Amino acid sequence: MEQKKGFKLGLNQKQGLIGWAFLSVAAALIIVMNFYPMFRGFLFSLQTGVGANMEYAGLFNYRRLLEDPQFRQTVSNTFFYLAVQVPVMIVLGLILASMLNSKNLKFKGFFRTTIFLPCTVGLVAYSLVFRQMFAVSGIVNTIAMNIGIMDTPFNWFGTAWSARLIIILGLLWRWTGFNMIFYLAGLQNIDQSIYEAARIDGANVLQQFRRITIPVLRPIILLTAIMSTNGTLQLFDESVNLTGGGPGITSRSMSHHIFNAAFQGIPQIGYASAMSFVILLFVGTLAFIQIKIGDKR
Amino acid sequence: MYVFLSIAAALSLFPLIWAVISATNANTDILRGTMLPGTHLIQNFNRLTELTDLGRAFWNSARNATMATFISIVICSLAGYGFEIYHSKAKDRLMSVLLLSMMIPFAAVMIPLFQLTANLSLLNTTLGFMLPTLSTAFLIMLFRQNTRTFPQEMIEAARIDGLNEISIFLRMYVPTMKSTYAAAITITFMGTWNVFLWPRIIMISPESITMPILISNLMAGYVADFGVIMLAVTIATLPTIVLFSFLQRYFAEGMTGTIK
Amino acid sequence: MKKLLVLLLTLVMAGMLLTACGRDDAEDVAVNELTVWSWDPAFNMFAMEVAAEIFERSNPGFVLNNVEMPWETIDMQLTTIGISGEHHLLPDIMLIQDQAIEISVLTFPQLFADITNSGINFNEFASGKTDFSVVNGRNFAVPFDNGVTITAFRTDILAQAGLTIGDFTNVTWNQFIDLGRQVLDTTGMPLLSTYGVGASFMDVMVKSAGTSLFDANGQPNFVNNPAFREAVDRFIEMVDAGVMLLPGDWSDYIGTLAAHDVAGTLAGCWILGTIQEVGPAGVWAVTNIPRLNIPGGTNYSSWGGSSWVITSNANFDLAVAFMNYTFAGSTELYDRILPAAGALSTWGPAAASTVYLEPQPFFGGQTVFADIIRFSQNIPDFMGGIHHYTAMDQIDIALGNIINLGMSIEDALREAEAAVRFEMGL
Repeated sequence: MEQKKGFKLGLNQKQGLIGWAFLSVAAALIIVMNFYPMFRGFLFSLQTGVGANMEYAGLFNYRRLLEDPQFRQTVSNTFFYLAVQVPVMIVLGLILASMLNSKNLKFKGFFRTTIFLPCTVGLVAYSLVFRQMFAVSGIVNTIAMNIGIMDTPFNWFGTAWSARLIIILGLLWRWTGFNMIFYLAGLQNIDQSIYEAARIDGANVLQQFRRITIPVLRPIILLTAIMSTNGTLQLFDESVNLTGGGPGITSRSMSHHIFNAAFQGIPQIGYASAMSFVILLFVGTLAFIQIKIGDKR
Repeated sequence: MYVFLSIAAALSLFPLIWAVISATNANTDILRGTMLPGTHLIQNFNRLTELTDLGRAFWNSARNATMATFISIVICSLAGYGFEIYHSKAKDRLMSVLLLSMMIPFAAVMIPLFQLTANLSLLNTTLGFMLPTLSTAFLIMLFRQNTRTFPQEMIEAARIDGLNEISIFLRMYVPTMKSTYAAAITITFMGTWNVFLWPRIIMISPESITMPILISNLMAGYVADFGVIMLAVTIATLPTIVLFSFLQRYFAEGMTGTIK
Repeated sequence: MKKLLVLLLTLVMAGMLLTACGRDDAEDVAVNELTVWSWDPAFNMFAMEVAAEIFERSNPGFVLNNVEMPWETIDMQLTTIGISGEHHLLPDIMLIQDQAIEISVLTFPQLFADITNSGINFNEFASGKTDFSVVNGRNFAVPFDNGVTITAFRTDILAQAGLTIGDFTNVTWNQFIDLGRQVLDTTGMPLLSTYGVGASFMDVMVKSAGTSLFDANGQPNFVNNPAFREAVDRFIEMVDAGVMLLPGDWSDYIGTLAAHDVAGTLAGCWILGTIQEVGPAGVWAVTNIPRLNIPGGTNYSSWGGSSWVITSNANFDLAVAFMNYTFAGSTELYDRILPAAGALSTWGPAAASTVYLEPQPFFGGQTVFADIIRFSQNIPDFMGGIHHYTAMDQIDIALGNIINLGMSIEDALREAEAAVRFEMGL
C-alpha cells in the first residue's frame, strides 16, 4: 500500500489503513454494482446473435455502428440537445443566481424555492405533465389561441424541430434551478465589499459579472458543465416519455436508442452494449476537454 | 429584475399548478384543454384508490427511499471522509476511477445487473432495489469536496485528546457537516423516491409496487384517465417538495464546499 | 480498528435485517393458484377476475394472483428473463400483444409452452386472430380481445354534409377521401385522426388486402409492393387534403376525439370504450373500413389485440384446464365482460349469444357488437413477421420525411426498406 507524507501530523501506516477501511464499503459497492456489470456489458458488446444464443463476433458490433444511419441520427440529436441546453441553462442559472444574491432583494426565499422546485418532480411525472401541456388540444395551444398568437392548434410533437424544442424546454425547466443553487452557494462566499469596490471604480453590472462573478465561480461552473454534459449525453426519460423519440426517431436520444435495441422487438444485446461504450467514450472525452479548458483560463 | 424573477418563478410553478388543477378535473375536460379548477377531485381520488393500491405504493416508496437514503449517506460520507482526511495518491487515483462509473448509461448495465441481482437471490427485495444506488460516485465526491472545509486542527486536537478515529468522525465531523448532510439527503431522497426503470424490472411482485410504477401502470390502460393520473402525480411529488422545504435552508450552504 | 469493523458489520447486518422484513416470498407455490400478468384493470385484468370466478365454481379453492404490469414492462421482462435464464420468475400465464407473439417465441423459445395438443380447440377462434400465435405450425396462445378494425362516425356531423353512415360502408379509399372532402368543405371538420405518424394505420391498410410488408422470404418489401404503395399514396392524399389529422401521440389522438375536433375515427374495436366516454350518446354509428383499390382488397382488417400465453414456468395442467374452461369454453365469461368492459371475443360460440345481438342505444340502436363479429369473420389471412416493429419504426420515419420534410415517396420508401434490411443484418 502506498503511503503519503503530505500530512502535518505524519501519516503512519495505521492511519492509511483506517482511511482505506472508511472508504472500502463504498468503493467495493461501486466496483461490484457498476464496474462488474460494465465488464459483462463489454463482453456482450463483442457478441452477436438472437435472444440468449450469442456467440463471439469480435468487433462486428462496433463496425456496424459506423454505418448505422439511425445511430448517427440519435447521436446528432443528443449532441444538439447538449449544444443548446447546457450553455443556455448555465447562463440562465448564473443570471438567476446573481439576481438572487443581490443584497436588497425581497422575497429571496420565495424565488429561490420556486425556481428550485421543478427538480423535485420525478422524471416520469414531469414528462407526463409536459406531454399533456403540449398536446394538440392541451393548455399551451389553448392559451396561445386565446391570446391570439395562433389561429389553429399547433402539433408540437408532429415535427422534428418542435419535438426537440420541447425536450430542451423540459430539460431547462427541470435542471436550471438545480444548477442555480450551486452558483448561489458559490456567490455567497464572495465578499459583497468586492462588488462595492468595483462599483466605486465605475464598473457596470455586466463588467462586475464578467470580472468578478465568473472568475470566482469558474470551478463550480466547470463542475456543473461536466455534470450536465454527462446527464444530457445519457438523456433517456425525456426522450422515452415526453416525445417517444418521435416523430419517427427525429428526437430520440442515444440512451433511448440503446434501450430500444436491447428491449424492443428482437433484442440486440450485443449491439446495444457496443453503443453504450461509445457513449462512455463521448462523456469521458468531453469531461477531459472541459477540465483542460477550465484549468487553462 | 423583479419582472425577470417573477417570470422565472411563474414558469417554474406553472406545470405544477397545472398538474394540481388537472387533478380536480374530469378526463374529458383536461383533454379539451381546461385551465380552471374543477369539481372532480373526490371522484378522481376514489377512482385512484379503487384502481390502485395507493397506500401500499406510497408506503413502499417511503420505506425504500428512506432506507436507501440513510444507508447511502452513511456509506458515502464515510468514504468521502476517508478519501480526504487520509488522502493519498493511491486514493486519489481510485477516486478518479470511481468517477468513471457515472459515465455509462444505465441501459447498458441493466441486464448484467439483473443477472447479478438474481444470482444473489435479491429479486423482489428492498436490498436488491437499493444495492445499485447505495454507493454513488457523485455522493462520495460531494462529501470528499466538502470535507476540505473541515478544519484539520480539530482532528489533530481530538487525536491528542485520545479520541479514536471513528469517534472523531461521529462526534466531530458529522455534527459540523450538518448542511452537507442535508444537501446529500435531499438529492439522494429525490433520486431514490423517483427511480423507475430498475425497480420496474426487479420488483416483479405486486406487493412491491412504488409510486413511479403506480403512475406508469395508470398510463398503461387503453383508456387513460388524466384527472386520476395528475392526482397521482401530485401525490407522488408532495414528499420531495416537503422534504426540500424543510432542508432548503441548509441545501445551498451544503453544496458550497463542493469545489473550492 | 476493531470498533470500526464492528460498526461496519453492524451496519451491514442492520441493512440485511431491515430488508429481510421487506422481502416477498416468491416461492410460496400453492397447488391451486395461477399467477397472471396483464395490464388494464378495467379491461383484461377485469376479464381475468371474471374468468377466475367462473373457474372457481368447478374448482373450489382456486386462487388467482392477478398482477398488473404494463405491456412495455412485460416486453422488457421477456428480454431480461430470457437472456439471464431466470425462468422461475415467469408467471403461469401472461397477456402478450398479438404482434409480439411470433417475435418472442422465436427469440426465446424456452419461455413459452407449446399448447398445440393441450386439448384447446383453436378452430373455434377466428383464423385472422390465431394467425398471430401460430409459429411454425405450433399454437402458442389463446386469443383474447378482438382487434377487428372499424370506422366510427358521428352521424350528426355526416348529416350536415348530407351523408349517412351507409355512404361510408363498403367503399374504396378513393371514395372515402372524396366523402371526406365533402365533409371538410361543409363542416370544416377533418374526417378522422390517428396517433403516431401513421405506421400502424398503414399496417392495417396493407393487411386488409391480405398482403404483408414482407415478402415470402421474410425480406422487407416496401418499394415494389402495390398494396403498400397504394396505402401510402391514399394516406398521404388524406393528410394533404386535411381529411386526416395527425395529432402526435396516443393521448393527443384521444384528445381530438374528446375535443370533438374530428367527425369520427378508424381504429381497432377497442376504441369503442373511448368513444362511449367522450360521447355524445345516440349519434355514433359503426361500419367497416375502406378497401384498397387493388385485386384482393377487402373492407376488413385487424389492429392490435392481445392473447394469453402459458409460460414454461407454469403449472401447465392447471393453466390449460383454466383456459379451456374459461377463455376457450365459457359463453358466460364473454357475456359478462362484453357489457362491463367492452371486451369483444374472437371465440365463435360467444358470438351466438344474445348479449351480442342487443341493440346499443349509444350507437342509435345499432347492433354494433353483432356487426363487429361479422366483420371479424371476413378478415383475410395474412403473414406476420418477426421484424414487424422494425418495419413500423422505419415506416414512421418514412412518413415523417414525406409529410414534414417533403421527401418523395419513392426515396422515402427506398430508404426505409434499406434501413429495415440493415436492422435485420445481425
